[in-house]
Amino acid sequence: MEKKLPILCPSCGSDLQVQSLKCCDCDTTITGQYDLPVLLKLDAKDQEFVLDFVKSSGSLKLMASRLGLSYPTVRNMLDDLISTIEKLQSDDQKTL
Amino acid sequence: MIKRLFNPFLYVAGSKSLLIGLAIMLATTAVSYFSHIHFPDPISVKVAIGFPLWVYLVQNLANWLVVSVLFYIAALVLSKSSVRAIDIFGTQALARAPYLIASFTGFTGVLETFGKFLLWITTNTGNPVEITGAQILFAVLLLILTMVLTVWLVALMFNAFKVSSNLKGAKLIVSFIVILLISIGIMLKITFMIVPHSTPLI
Repeated sequence: MEKKLPILCPSCGSDLQVQSLKCCDCDTTITGQYDLPVLLKLDAKDQEFVLDFVKSSGSLKLMASRLGLSYPTVRNMLDDLISTIEKLQSDDQKTL
Repeated sequence: MIKRLFNPFLYVAGSKSLLIGLAIMLATTAVSYFSHIHFPDPISVKVAIGFPLWVYLVQNLANWLVVSVLFYIAALVLSKSSVRAIDIFGTQALARAPYLIASFTGFTGVLETFGKFLLWITTNTGNPVEITGAQILFAVLLLILTMVLTVWLVALMFNAFKVSSNLKGAKLIVSFIVILLISIGIMLKITFMIVPHSTPLI
């Protein structure tokens, strides 16, 4: 089963932070308080879009042909993603 | 399937939809010339006899061009996305596909007879017309089919504008309605200019 990375607190809805990182080979654990990078705060579908976009060398035409969608549909997905990223960044700046 | 019928623009846009749309409009022109169905504005279907071929062609092309130009201007002004003219013009061309089916409704001749019958009983215009109950029923069914095709056309035009402009919410709905109404007005003016003595029946 693929586990979904939780980014919001299920109790209060606030952003979650990383508290510990563990090396699975030697069992070293690092604890601290780290913010999740903006890209990890995107939902799985948006993260997949970013990967597809990079793998298509940033060509929306190529991406549209790979996904079997029209060019404006993919461009709209990118524009919506840009809006989401801008909102996440502005939320991050407000919490600083 | 329903999604592809009402919003094919998620999958087809740009030059591909423009070429398909232009081919459909030319086919619509040819069929409507012989079936005597004409389109005086972007969403109307009427019967008229005796128009030359170029009138049908101008009407079909102008119905597409007027809405496309207005949608393009609105998208440039209102959208934050980089809108491509080829997407607006291409998707609007393909959106006119339902009226290729509508252009076949005139071949039966029933709509023409029914129109003359209505004119005669409501305004006493023309000669008395004999019409059977079956013909009336068939004409009503054809009118219902035409209405369904009009709803399909408007849904396609709306989705074409939505996909190619990336507008959402009130901006999308209000601009679509306003542009549709303006384009109907412009097209009726154009139709009046090219067919000054037209007397559409239905």
